[in-house]
Amino acid sequence: MSKIFIIEDDDIIRTELNNLLSKYGYVCESSTDFERVIDNVISAAADLVLLDINLPMFDGYYICREIRQRSNVPIIIVTSRANELDELMSMNLGADDFITKPYNTQILLAHISAILKRTVNNETINTISHKGVILHTTKSIVEYNGQTAELTKNELRILSTLMNNKGNIISRDDIMNDLWQSDEFIDDNTLTVNINRLRKKLESIDIFDFLVTRRGQGYVV
Amino acid sequence: MRLGSFLKNRSIFLLTQGLVLSFIIILLAVVDIGIYAIIYVSSFFIITNVVAFIFEYIRKNNFYKGVLQNLENLDKKFLLSEMVEEPNFDEGIILYQILKETNKSMNDNIAKYKISSEEYREYIETWVHEIKTPIASTLLIIENNNNEVTRNIRTEIDKLDAFVEQALFYSRSNNVEKDYAIRGVILKDLVNQTIKGNSRNLIESKVLIELQKLDYEIFTDSKWFEFIVSQIITNSIKYKKDNPKIVFHAIENDNNIVFYITDNGIGIPENELSKVFDKGFTGQNGRKYAKSTGIGLYLAQKLCHKLGLSIGITSKINEGTTIFITFPRGHHNLR
Repeated sequence: MSKIFIIEDDDIIRTELNNLLSKYGYVCESSTDFERVIDNVISAAADLVLLDINLPMFDGYYICREIRQRSNVPIIIVTSRANELDELMSMNLGADDFITKPYNTQILLAHISAILKRTVNNETINTISHKGVILHTTKSIVEYNGQTAELTKNELRILSTLMNNKGNIISRDDIMNDLWQSDEFIDDNTLTVNINRLRKKLESIDIFDFLVTRRGQGYVV
Repeated sequence: MRLGSFLKNRSIFLLTQGLVLSFIIILLAVVDIGIYAIIYVSSFFIITNVVAFIFEYIRKNNFYKGVLQNLENLDKKFLLSEMVEEPNFDEGIILYQILKETNKSMNDNIAKYKISSEEYREYIETWVHEIKTPIASTLLIIENNNNEVTRNIRTEIDKLDAFVEQALFYSRSNNVEKDYAIRGVILKDLVNQTIKGNSRNLIESKVLIELQKLDYEIFTDSKWFEFIVSQIITNSIKYKKDNPKIVFHAIENDNNIVFYITDNGIGIPENELSKVFDKGFTGQNGRKYAKSTGIGLYLAQKLCHKLGLSIGITSKINEGTTIFITFPRGHHNLR
C-alpha cells in the first residue's frame, strides 16, 4: 500500500484528508511539527507528499525545494491561491502536480493515483475485492470463483466506485458525477442502462444480489 | 480671444488715454505751438499706443488660443497643465500656476483613491483565499460523511463556492493583464473541464449535455475562459425549463472560430437582449427568479473583451438562448 505524507496546518482538512485517503486504501502520515517537517517527510519514506502552501514557520515553496534537494518523492501542491505565478513557481521548485482548493475529491484522488501509477508499480491498488468478487481495475475484468467477465469503461468505473465504498449507499447523482469526471457526460437514462448491463454481466458469472438498489437513495454493494 | 472684447476689457485705460491726449492737445493749443506740432505729437502718441496694443493682443491671443486648442485636442483634459508652456505675462502666469496647482492636487487625490481601491482589491483576494480553506474542509467532511443531509449541504456549499469565485474574478477583472497566459488549447478540453467543474449543479438539475464537434485549437487563457463558460452554464441552469439540455458546438470560418452554447431554457424577451450584458441588469426573468444578480454576463463580456474575444447572444422566448463567443484567427496563428 502506498504511503502519503500530508503537510497541512489546518487540523480539520488534515484529519478529513486522512480519513478520505485511508478509505481509498492509502496509508497516511502527517506532522504538525513544522520546524522539523522536512526531516519527518524524509524519514517517513512516503510514496507521495501532499503539500499546502500557506504554512506556519516556512512556506510550502521552501519546504518543496528542501524536500526536492534530498529526495525524489512525488509532491502535489495543494493551495487556495490559484494564479499562473503560483503554479509556475510550484513547478519550478520541483513539484509534480498542482491542485487548487476547494478541490473535487475525485479529481484529487485521480491525480494521486495517476502520479503513483507513474512512480511506483503497485499491484494491490489495482484490485479491489468484496464478498469474493475481485475487480481488476487495470485489466477492466471482474472475477468470481474463477470465472471472469470483461467490463466496459463506464461499468468498470461504476463498480469500482461502489466497491471502494463497500457497505455505503452511493446515490445515482454521485455515480454520475464520478463518470462525468472521466469526460463521460451521461444522463440519467444512460446510467440506468449501464447499471442493468453491469448486473447482467455479474449474473453471467454467477454473482447474484451483489449490486443492490436502495429505492430513492442509490446503490450499495 | 476676440479683438472687440479685448478692447472692451481695456475701455477705462482707453478712455484715460483719450483724456490724456485731449489734455495734451488743449495744452499745446494754449501755448500756440503750431498745428503741425500738435498733429505730430498726437499721431506719435496714437501710433505708439496702437503698436503696444497690437503687440499685447498678439501675445495673449497666441497663449490663450494655444491653451484652448490643447484642451480641445486632449483626450484626457486633466493633462492640460502638462501641455501649456509658461507664458511671460502676469495674468498668464497666474493661470498657469493655477492649472499646475489644481492638477497636482487632483493627482494626489486620484493617487489616494487608487491606493485605497488597490488595497480593497488585495483584501478581497486574500479574503477569497482565506475562505477557500473552510470551504475545502467542509467539502472533505461531507465527502467522508456521505448521506442525505450532507449531500444537501454540499449543493449549498457549491453555490457558496461559485459566489466566492465570482467575487474573486470580479476583483481581478480590471487587472486581467496581470494574471493571464494566452496559450493554444483544444476547445473541447476546456469545455470538458468546465462541465466537470459544474458537474454537481448540472447533474442535480438533470441537464442533458450534448457535445458536438469541438476539436479546434483556440488561443486564450484557460482559467479566464473556463470562468466565462461557467457563468453561461450557471445561467442556463438558473433559467431552465423541463428536460433541460445544453449543446456545445463550434464552427470554423475563414478568419475565426465561433463557439456556441445553446440551451432550451425559458429564453429572454427580444427587447431585453441588448441589455443583458449591462452590469446589474436582470430584466423580466430576473424579477421572476430572485437569484439573479446581473453580474454574470456583465463579467463574461468584460473578460471576453480583455481577452480579445467577442461575445454575443440570441434568444427566443420559451425556446432557449444561445451565447456565442468568437475567437479571431490568423494573426494569432503566427505565434
